[in-house]
Amino acid sequence: MDKTNTNILIKKREALIEQFLSGNEPDFLEKHSLILDEYIFTVFEESITARKMTVSGNAFAIIALGGYGRKEQCIHSDIDLLILFDKAVPPEVEAFVQELLYPLWDTRFEVGYAVRNIAECLQMAFERFDVLTTILDARFICGASLIYSSFIEKFRTELSTKHLKGTLNYLFEHGEKRHFDFGDSTYLISPDLKSGFGGLRDYHTLLWYAKIKSDIKTRRDLEYYGFLSHFEYTTLVESLSDIWKIRNFLHYITKRKCDTLHFEYQADLAGLLGYRSRKRQPDVERFLGDLHTRMDFLKQIHQITFEDIFGSFRLKKDSDDSRPTKTEGLVIKKRRLYFSNTVVILQKPDLLIKIFLESGRRKIPLSIEARRVVSEFLHLVDDDLKKDRSCIKIFNKIMGLSHWEFNVLNVMLVTGILGKFIPEFTFIINKIQYNHYHLFPVDKHSIRCVQIINSFKEPGDSIMGTLYSSVLKEVRNKNILLFAALLHDIGKSDPAKEHSKTGAGIAKPIFERFGYNPTEISDAVFLIENHLVLIKTATRRDISDEETAVYLANKIVKIRLLRMLYLLTVADSQATGPKAWNEWTENLLKDLFLKTMGILKKGELASKKAQRLIDKKKNEILKFMDDPGDKNETEMLLESMSRRYLVYIPAQDIAEHIHLFRNLNDKNFIWQISKDGGSDFRTVTICGKDVPGFYSKVAGVFFLNGLDIIGSQAYSLGKDHVLDIFTIKPPKDRLFETQKWEKTEADLIQALQDDHFLDNALGRIPRTLMVSSGKTPEPNTVRIDNETSSFFTIIEVFTYDFPGLLFSVTNALYRSRTNVNVAMVATKVDQVIDIFYVKSLDNDSKIETEQELEKIKTAILMSLPQIKAKEKNNEKN
Amino acid sequence: MKKIEAIIKPFKLDDVKEALSEIGIYGMTVTEVNGYGRQKGHKEIYRGAEYVVDFVPKIKIEIVVSDERAAETIDTVRNAANTGKIGDGKIFVIPVEQVIRVRTGETGTEAL
Repeated sequence: MDKTNTNILIKKREALIEQFLSGNEPDFLEKHSLILDEYIFTVFEESITARKMTVSGNAFAIIALGGYGRKEQCIHSDIDLLILFDKAVPPEVEAFVQELLYPLWDTRFEVGYAVRNIAECLQMAFERFDVLTTILDARFICGASLIYSSFIEKFRTELSTKHLKGTLNYLFEHGEKRHFDFGDSTYLISPDLKSGFGGLRDYHTLLWYAKIKSDIKTRRDLEYYGFLSHFEYTTLVESLSDIWKIRNFLHYITKRKCDTLHFEYQADLAGLLGYRSRKRQPDVERFLGDLHTRMDFLKQIHQITFEDIFGSFRLKKDSDDSRPTKTEGLVIKKRRLYFSNTVVILQKPDLLIKIFLESGRRKIPLSIEARRVVSEFLHLVDDDLKKDRSCIKIFNKIMGLSHWEFNVLNVMLVTGILGKFIPEFTFIINKIQYNHYHLFPVDKHSIRCVQIINSFKEPGDSIMGTLYSSVLKEVRNKNILLFAALLHDIGKSDPAKEHSKTGAGIAKPIFERFGYNPTEISDAVFLIENHLVLIKTATRRDISDEETAVYLANKIVKIRLLRMLYLLTVADSQATGPKAWNEWTENLLKDLFLKTMGILKKGELASKKAQRLIDKKKNEILKFMDDPGDKNETEMLLESMSRRYLVYIPAQDIAEHIHLFRNLNDKNFIWQISKDGGSDFRTVTICGKDVPGFYSKVAGVFFLNGLDIIGSQAYSLGKDHVLDIFTIKPPKDRLFETQKWEKTEADLIQALQDDHFLDNALGRIPRTLMVSSGKTPEPNTVRIDNETSSFFTIIEVFTYDFPGLLFSVTNALYRSRTNVNVAMVATKVDQVIDIFYVKSLDNDSKIETEQELEKIKTAILMSLPQIKAKEKNNEKN
Repeated sequence: MKKIEAIIKPFKLDDVKEALSEIGIYGMTVTEVNGYGRQKGHKEIYRGAEYVVDFVPKIKIEIVVSDERAAETIDTVRNAANTGKIGDGKIFVIPVEQVIRVRTGETGTEAL
């Protein structure tokens, strides 16, 4: 096969690409198409087969389709060809296709072709949308031009008489589907330059729409036929030429038809496109920033197109007359908002903001004209307007109207008015963070956050949607939340510093300028400063540890702040991208939120009062310590102690406990016995290593040695130790008290080693108990509260006192495989209320299943003696 | 060569990474995973609605090391991930037949 033509094609093409790479070829796409045209034309001219077919009455036309038809051929774009016959398709065409296309395939061009007659083509065009759109772009290359023109004529007639509505419908639905499949390209880490939202396809769609409606021939006609204004057309041309250039370079470096701007190519492309890093922003971020702006424009083009298509269904009788709106100075024409005239803006500059409220409320977009007017009148937004109460009110309402499908804030951003109204915002506009984690430039990310919070108003059908919406319902001041969301990353204007802190500093004067009250300001500033706290804690701290939730509760203090912080965190993570948000993170965060909420609601451990109490105690404890040299160590030790312990134990006692703890060393336990000042009771304070059943065993050896417990408390001390306090009646035989304690201590050592050491003692627990209260005795009661705490199952036991009671109950708990983490035992005369905070020994969390809870309850009840009244006559009552 | 696959608590990841880098191991694959095991999920109640977590969020790390380094690596991971409580996780050790670096074609420990 003669390769001369192919060689010429390759050489010309290489030279053209060379030219493009060196930056001297603004018309690459068109010239590239023409080189291909030349090749096809030459092969056709030289082909004997083609001549034979023409002579024998089988003339045909060679037609360029798709991008090639539009003369928009990028380096590795497909070449789509149609070989069109009037009626019959002769078998010789096979040979011609070989002559024409084999050399192209051999040299690795991606060529697609179809051989059809006019009737087939027409049928397919109206059956298959992808065929139809390629035909809309059809361009005659060579051959029998009459066949081409007669085909196009028939196509146009059929289109306008039979298929107009259906085709427009197709265009609309396919647009929607494409956006659903590809997503918003401006907001993807690897945007699709062609098919994504904001990609070239948006422009193609407009072109197709214009071709369907008005039979325009070229891109230039978009302006001439009034589909775009002059301003829009010039911006479109600029945007397209930039995106094509990027696409060409992308094809060049990937050596194939690649339209997805993969992360790993972005830095190289920025270099090739001549971007240079500046002090504050690397080249790649500047490149992506520009690209986003271009794609944003194509998105607007898409919106215009779709509004038009939509309008052409719905508003058949729509005239050019404008309808007034409730806002004086604004009118609606063809489902677009316009200013009634520009003079009115000079008189009422607040219209520049009001138009967005009107747009958001009615879900009617600003006309492109109105957008331009807003941009041109920005200078009217002066200091007075920025502080104007009614404008601020309007702005607050606009934030609440910013939704995914219809984002007014975004339009405010694009027109520049957002930056004018909140000048601090301009520093984060198009601020890109070039990494795998952040998909969006900071400004878009912030707006998305607002939009996501608004979306929580609808619970949707997921369980988490229900949670978000019920939390949002409880947020009284939604404006504060939305505004904090809009400004939460404002600190990123300065990349060097910690942005939450910087941001809080920048945002405060904004809130003040907006006239919020001091509480609102401090709430909003708090949200910004702490917007990473929840997510960091959820992923970096042990959230099954109560102390984590207590720590957070103390930091956040107010329930309303926790609610807002939670929603802000969820929205922030969702708006960042899939690396920051998935079910995994969502679950961790939810867990932490609910646990912290539990602590805050109960207030016991995390109220302002509790905090003041603890702070006061900490100071006192340090005073009580003998050795001031160990201050740091003491402080660290206090940090590791549970809040519950710090809240309930007096400072002096804590100081003594610390002393005890320091002397524990590697022993299993150590105790200290003291006489209470006023009473005759003994207080036994035991510090020991946390082993299952420890508390029960201590109670057991006291019972074994006839020591009567009248009160007790148990706490965990740091992660691995416990601290138990027992109040004991003095032993009957006081002479040998020391020996008694020594024996008890020896027994405890034994009991800790031998799990069955106390089995005998268990046998000595009474089976019945005679109560002489004068009334019918209350039965033994066990109540289980599994809701108050996220960490523990709380078990309350009500019964009458008897020797060995505490041992009996805690032994039942231990044998049911639970561990007592906190205990509060108190005796009032002969009535006893014991409260235990337990966790399962098997999974170190609260007991979840009903069966297990029931089993524990039964075990406790079984361990208690039957209660009977002493006096016979009372039994009858 | 051995592949060491460890399932750990999420908040222990930084500790493990740090401990491994101290013994000169920097490369690993980290995945967020959901575990179903002895440490069961749980439920929380908010405004009367139950929110059930029926799995436990965990982190999986995968490291491939030479046979000689396996024991040391396992110990390091174990020590760093240990809190002494239920749910600390598990470590699996799997023999690795071959490792090939895609870019250069190097094989075996060279490619690690």
